[in-house]
Amino acid sequence: MVDLTQQLEEQIQHAYVTKTPLKIQAGNTKAHLGRETSGEVVDMANHTGVVSYSATELVIRVRAGTKISQLNDLLAEQQQRLPFDPPSFNGEATIGGTVAANQTGASRPWFGGVKDSLLGLGLINGYGEAMQFGGQVMKNVAGFDVTRLQCGAMGSLGLITDVSIKLLPEFKAGHTVTFEMTAEVALEAMLRWANLSLPITGMSHFQGLLYVRLQGGDSGVTSASNFLGGEQLNSVAAKEFWQALKEGRLLQPTPNQILWRWSGASDSPIDAGSNTSLINWAGAERWILETGSNPPLEGLTQHKGGDRLAQVFGAVSPPQQALQQRIKYAFDPHGILNAGRLYSWM
Amino acid sequence: MHTLSNTSNDPVKQAGEAGNVAALISDLQQLLPASGLIMSTESQRPFECDGLAVYQQLPLITVIPETVDQVQGILRLCYSHRVPLVPRGAGTGLCAGAMPHAEGVLLVMTKLNKILHINQHTATARVQPGVRNLALTDAAKPMGLYYAPDPSSQIACTIGGNISENSGGVHCLKYGLTVNNLLQVTLVTIEGKLITLGGDGLDEPGMDLLSLFVGSEGLLGVVVEAKVKLLPRAPRVQVLLAAYDSVTAAGDSVAALIAQGIIPAGLEMMDHLAISAAEDFVKVGYPTDAQALLICELDGTDAEVEEQLAVVSQCFKNHGAKHIRIAKDAAEADALWQGRKAAFPAVGRISPDYYCMDGTIPRSKVGYVLTRISELSNTYGLRVANVFHAGDGNLHPLILFDASVDGELERAELLGGDILTLCVDVGGTITGEHGVGLEKMPQMPYQFGDAELAQFRRLKAAFDSEELLNPGKGIPTLKYCQEYRSLQHG
Repeated sequence: MVDLTQQLEEQIQHAYVTKTPLKIQAGNTKAHLGRETSGEVVDMANHTGVVSYSATELVIRVRAGTKISQLNDLLAEQQQRLPFDPPSFNGEATIGGTVAANQTGASRPWFGGVKDSLLGLGLINGYGEAMQFGGQVMKNVAGFDVTRLQCGAMGSLGLITDVSIKLLPEFKAGHTVTFEMTAEVALEAMLRWANLSLPITGMSHFQGLLYVRLQGGDSGVTSASNFLGGEQLNSVAAKEFWQALKEGRLLQPTPNQILWRWSGASDSPIDAGSNTSLINWAGAERWILETGSNPPLEGLTQHKGGDRLAQVFGAVSPPQQALQQRIKYAFDPHGILNAGRLYSWM
Repeated sequence: MHTLSNTSNDPVKQAGEAGNVAALISDLQQLLPASGLIMSTESQRPFECDGLAVYQQLPLITVIPETVDQVQGILRLCYSHRVPLVPRGAGTGLCAGAMPHAEGVLLVMTKLNKILHINQHTATARVQPGVRNLALTDAAKPMGLYYAPDPSSQIACTIGGNISENSGGVHCLKYGLTVNNLLQVTLVTIEGKLITLGGDGLDEPGMDLLSLFVGSEGLLGVVVEAKVKLLPRAPRVQVLLAAYDSVTAAGDSVAALIAQGIIPAGLEMMDHLAISAAEDFVKVGYPTDAQALLICELDGTDAEVEEQLAVVSQCFKNHGAKHIRIAKDAAEADALWQGRKAAFPAVGRISPDYYCMDGTIPRSKVGYVLTRISELSNTYGLRVANVFHAGDGNLHPLILFDASVDGELERAELLGGDILTLCVDVGGTITGEHGVGLEKMPQMPYQFGDAELAQFRRLKAAFDSEELLNPGKGIPTLKYCQEYRSLQHG
């Protein structure tokens, strides 16, 4: 429970004057994401604690270095949860890094991503100015949405100091059913079921099995389970599967492999030429584990493994690149914050 | 009547502007057919304001393009001639965000109104910005789908306008605002270039530029195409109404229900004045002796709705509901909603004018804030009817006044300003869904500090360095803030 905001502000103010590159770090659980960078470490690991938690409002405000695992435990005491169900990476991931790297679990298509639950945040820009955007209320359209802009920015626009998040009640019941299916057949089933207003919170295909997770009230889950049929997965195995999926343990690249991520329309056909290893998010996210360094398809993200100094997030159109560079300049004119983490040119 | 004078005091700049304008008009005539240009005062009159009609201004010229190419051409011309441009859709906004600029071009996007594609499999739609909100839901209906954001102007308002304002509606408690239901936007920059933000998937790598753009009130670019999410229609929708002897009890019911983990599809509240006005107008059987009403909509499968209905009814009873009415069928549900939806025009019948506010507060502060509003109402001698999205704490106090009485509009604005600062004081915001526009500029320096406002201005410059897109709205200038603060401390 320590507030290091002032110290962090001073570190960045000093770096602004001396034009010193900074590398933001807390649990250091996401080094495998984005590009490799160097710089003086801004250590967020001790900037921790709950600033306010109103269980009856379903809103929490926490400092960025607070661990996801601790947050989950705290919320569980009140039968509440983070709607975007992020990975905790062996218990070390923090909420600041989770927001910055836009980390969402299997329920993404139904309960939204980080941005859908993020109400506000504190940010120190590249001048070393501490600012607050958004707030703790449900709806807020005053000013530009600097809050959500940070999702996925990987610290390149500012240091996130605290975040306010909208919470949801914990599910009363949960149940996973599986179906033996090829990827093609599973994709059809996912598309069909996704549009049926069922209490689905996960649909993934892995190693010949389609996994469907149902969560919600008792009767809603039971009736949906009866409707879908399939093979019931025992609760221990179900928990282990969804946990392994979320934490990225299902597909681990060997040193000569790259794990590629594809994000697109859920009804895109399974590409015959590529070896799709995992389908997640009811078809909207797919994973390909391949040997060698060439992307098996266009428009993929080099998620894990391979050369981390390459443009891991793929190409960006020239007007979009120019715009992002101007936005970077608007927050961080000396380019000291996580420079090169997203793209070599930013 | 409010008008804005944008006349520059700089004589050199003025001369330059006059020359620019003549050249711009000639270039626009080359670009657009005669039907796409409106120049006469009489024909431009319908465009001089948006839904907040107390702010009016005629533009220099109004253009109505029919193609994306024409939109790009118009922006290129405004940029090269350095002439301001204000984009607008149907003009249903409530913050004077689409009020024209006296020396600028008004860009009307309503003719780009095609639904390009609805994909039933992925439950998404690609639309042009001028498509009406309700037209999209109607088109998706045969596929069992609908577009969730449903502002009360949904019969007229456009998707482009909804994106610019991040519009909500009665169902955003459960299904989110525009920002939560949007996948992709193609916009034209002030230089006339096309940029696509977001993607076909759910989370693209990198900073979330799409979310930044949503709600940017026409200050960053002009939307020419959008891809939105559609939702499957719930198999069952159940509406119930609860009547209370006090607004505080109704407010407590709302907080208690949310705290129990129930998120209804909609949860609306009306106070006594709004109930009476609505009942007089639409006669749907609202209990006019009640001090507050809650209208609650639950949706889902039969099993889910039955389970929730029991919890909700019990919760409302426990927190002082005197009377609960559960709609027996779709017709009765529609009737219960009708009174809420007609509340604004109903209030319009009992007062020559009304002024709609849009603050959002923590749900637990509803009782306190309503009591304070009632005190302020007495102080200013103006009646206030309260109709609002109780579930997410988004208040719409309607200040009743008569613009023909000297000083009443000014008093209504002062009362409105006090209500907004009250919202900020309890940890809320000056606008939940209507936007800042021109109207709420005075309250921006109250909600944000100098560093945040300066950051907004630098962000604006990253998109529009010449400050041509909807100037004078949304984000106050440094000079404006200094004047505001000296007034506050003077």
